[in-house]
Amino acid sequence: MARTLPKTDVVIVGGGWTGLAAAIELCNEGQRCVVLERGGYRHDATSFAGPEEHDELRYARRKGHMIDTPTKTLSFRNSSDQTALPMRRLGSFLPGKGLGGAGIHWNGQSWRPLPSDLQMRSHYTERYGEQVLDGLNVQDWGVTYDELEPHLDFWEKVAGIGGATGNLNGEIQKGGNPFEGPRSNPYPNPPMKPSPPLQLFRDAAADMGYHPFQMPSANMTAEYENPYGAKLHGCTYCGFCERFGCGYYAKADPIICIYDRVKDHENFTLRLNTHVLRVEKSGDGKTATGVTYLDKNGQEVFQPADVVCMNAYALWNVHLMLVSGLGQPYDPATGQGVVGRNYAYQTMAGVSVFFEDEVWSNPFMGAGALGMSMDDFNGDNFDHTGLGFVGGGYISANQTNGRPINYQPVPEGTPKWGREWKKAVRENYLHHVGIGVHGSSMAVPGNYLDLDPTYTDAYGQPLLRMTFNFPENDRKMAKHVLGKTEEIARNMAHVKSISTSNNAEAGNDYSIVPYQTTHNTGGAVMGTDPATSVANRYGQMWDHHNVFVFGACLFPQNLGYNPTGPLMGLAYWTLDHLKREYLKDPRPLMDA
Amino acid sequence: MTEQFSRRAVLLQIGAAGITATIPGAALSQNRYAEFDGRPWFFLTVDEARFLAAFTDVLIPEDEYPSASQAGVVDFIDLQLAGPFGQGDGLYMQGPFDKGTPQQGYQSRLTPAPLIRQAIAALDAQGTPLVDMDEAGREDLVARLSEGDVDLGDLDAKTVFGELFALTNEGYFADPVYGGNKDYAGWRMVGFPGAHAYYTDFIDKNVPYPAPPRGVAHIPGTSRSGSVYTAGPRPAKQEG
Repeated sequence: MARTLPKTDVVIVGGGWTGLAAAIELCNEGQRCVVLERGGYRHDATSFAGPEEHDELRYARRKGHMIDTPTKTLSFRNSSDQTALPMRRLGSFLPGKGLGGAGIHWNGQSWRPLPSDLQMRSHYTERYGEQVLDGLNVQDWGVTYDELEPHLDFWEKVAGIGGATGNLNGEIQKGGNPFEGPRSNPYPNPPMKPSPPLQLFRDAAADMGYHPFQMPSANMTAEYENPYGAKLHGCTYCGFCERFGCGYYAKADPIICIYDRVKDHENFTLRLNTHVLRVEKSGDGKTATGVTYLDKNGQEVFQPADVVCMNAYALWNVHLMLVSGLGQPYDPATGQGVVGRNYAYQTMAGVSVFFEDEVWSNPFMGAGALGMSMDDFNGDNFDHTGLGFVGGGYISANQTNGRPINYQPVPEGTPKWGREWKKAVRENYLHHVGIGVHGSSMAVPGNYLDLDPTYTDAYGQPLLRMTFNFPENDRKMAKHVLGKTEEIARNMAHVKSISTSNNAEAGNDYSIVPYQTTHNTGGAVMGTDPATSVANRYGQMWDHHNVFVFGACLFPQNLGYNPTGPLMGLAYWTLDHLKREYLKDPRPLMDA
Repeated sequence: MTEQFSRRAVLLQIGAAGITATIPGAALSQNRYAEFDGRPWFFLTVDEARFLAAFTDVLIPEDEYPSASQAGVVDFIDLQLAGPFGQGDGLYMQGPFDKGTPQQGYQSRLTPAPLIRQAIAALDAQGTPLVDMDEAGREDLVARLSEGDVDLGDLDAKTVFGELFALTNEGYFADPVYGGNKDYAGWRMVGFPGAHAYYTDFIDKNVPYPAPPRGVAHIPGTSRSGSVYTAGPRPAKQEG
């Protein structure tokens, strides 16, 4: 029998970027907020300090900051005619655990969606005809770029994003991304410093008529104070961002940017080591009454609340809906139902560039968002007529790290071990850069999330089951954009040789094993039609109007961008409507 | 084992016909294995340690830079298998177990420590033990294991190879505090300076940065790192 606590105004499931943003905004609005976080306490100053944090084995290989699979994992298969087996060890993606969530170990690459991305179905239909979307569950997001812009702008201020402004109120700015939507303000901080390989990529791309620019970065480029009063320091390019916390206050993360500014608020309560088992539905069929969780002693507790905010990692939000019976589960046989529908990922490919000895890449100097990017082949920035696919990706020469267990670039044809391999590693380590294709991922009927019939987690609940393979559309997209990337690489100065890799190459099934990216999206998507979305355009659940959904699970299909920027823009958009419209008159904010 | 135990003596017996025969005498007299020399293995048997020295030296043989076993990789693997990793930390171990597809990843019913123990026994039961093979024989066995072209009964050969390959790589390049990468052998080889953290004035310059390696437990004034013993246990950080 669960112990019932006094009611709170808002219960927030998850203490990462979106959960803490919800907490600070709603606490400041006079709402008593209880944040339930699965993991424990940690703080940049005490948990991520150097030199101990600079331990590749502990954090990058043994995944010290991530979810532990014995407690929580999922099962996986490529198609519904296979038997899903548990992801026994982390690999392809790395959800976080503990205060700050995955926002602690991110790289800090922060993007905005293109205006056309948010109206993908109507945009492509208008430009090319609806048949280009045949077989794809591509949808409009239900929110436009202009509506989202103030919230994207605020997010960039919260995280102190450094970048080269490309489009200021419709005026194209030199050195920035000319394809970006109009922004109301420049980036709050200047761009990062480009390393030698990034300079070579920039020059080659510009010579070919493309539009390279420094990747927008949450690695600080100056001393900075955010709108909540958090103070951050300039990044030292130490090369330990992704998979690591930053002990220097130099990478925007949820703890220093938000938690520290709300932790003493009288309306704020944080309960650590609490595992939410389900959202409880009310008898009226229209709302939720709160959540039931296991406290740190393993006792069941019911926390009643007027508003439930779902701020877990994208996959776990979907899992929580499925085990709670929120929304209609998706049935791939009929195409009916919405929870678990439109799961998408990211289509990653790349070119490995080996330089002559006079180019010193020094890969151990780097930062998570140190990249020279171009958007010429992203979204619908290029003519898709006759290409046979939709979507695209940004191309970016990145210098994130040279941590030597994972970073061992060798030219094509090198054996995988032995003397020749050993020689190739030491000859190329200091003279190499990778150019990535960060490709979009389209939702298709056969890729989805549901509950596993066999395997359970440490709490006895069925595992989430992922059924996913790269759609044909995305394979064509990756091949096309990778071809363009290869041409640029060949035009770079001082290049000895190049090689390519493509996860979505014809004949390659998606594998859960090698790390690709922690950009799992969809499964609880937003939209304007309850038949094809879990939440309305405000992130409010159609079926339970006091449940608000946050994070990348809302994306109807995945962008050719990293999800944190877009999902934080959506979070502030949702919170704005929650504060201004919902609290004074709790109701569905849209008619079904 | 008694106080006469010597890891160095054990690992130098990895086969007269094999790799030791190709190692110049000077290399043998260097302080290989000295760090843990007087300590019995934590997990491995003497035979397993010899097997791993021979196996990992096929993956990373000696040249101008030390081989895997010379750089302490066997010590590293011993500690890893004895510790949380080998015992299944970070590994979901609920059944039922099924071989699955390569895309579904690790599906062994064994955690890495017993997996490797059983695999070594199965491999050495097939004929000439690895340590008694010549260099070509060892290379052939390693290559066949990587292709899954060795029958190990219930064990999946590619999974076994994957674990040994990853541990060897980690042992050569992980921070020396874990017992491998001895005297920063792996880091010196590639030019990784370790736990330095300030590159703001260098990042955009096309120049070499020849800093001596420095690990998380670097001993100031030396070119060495503390070991797991001299450095004490890794600080217990608060984590989620």
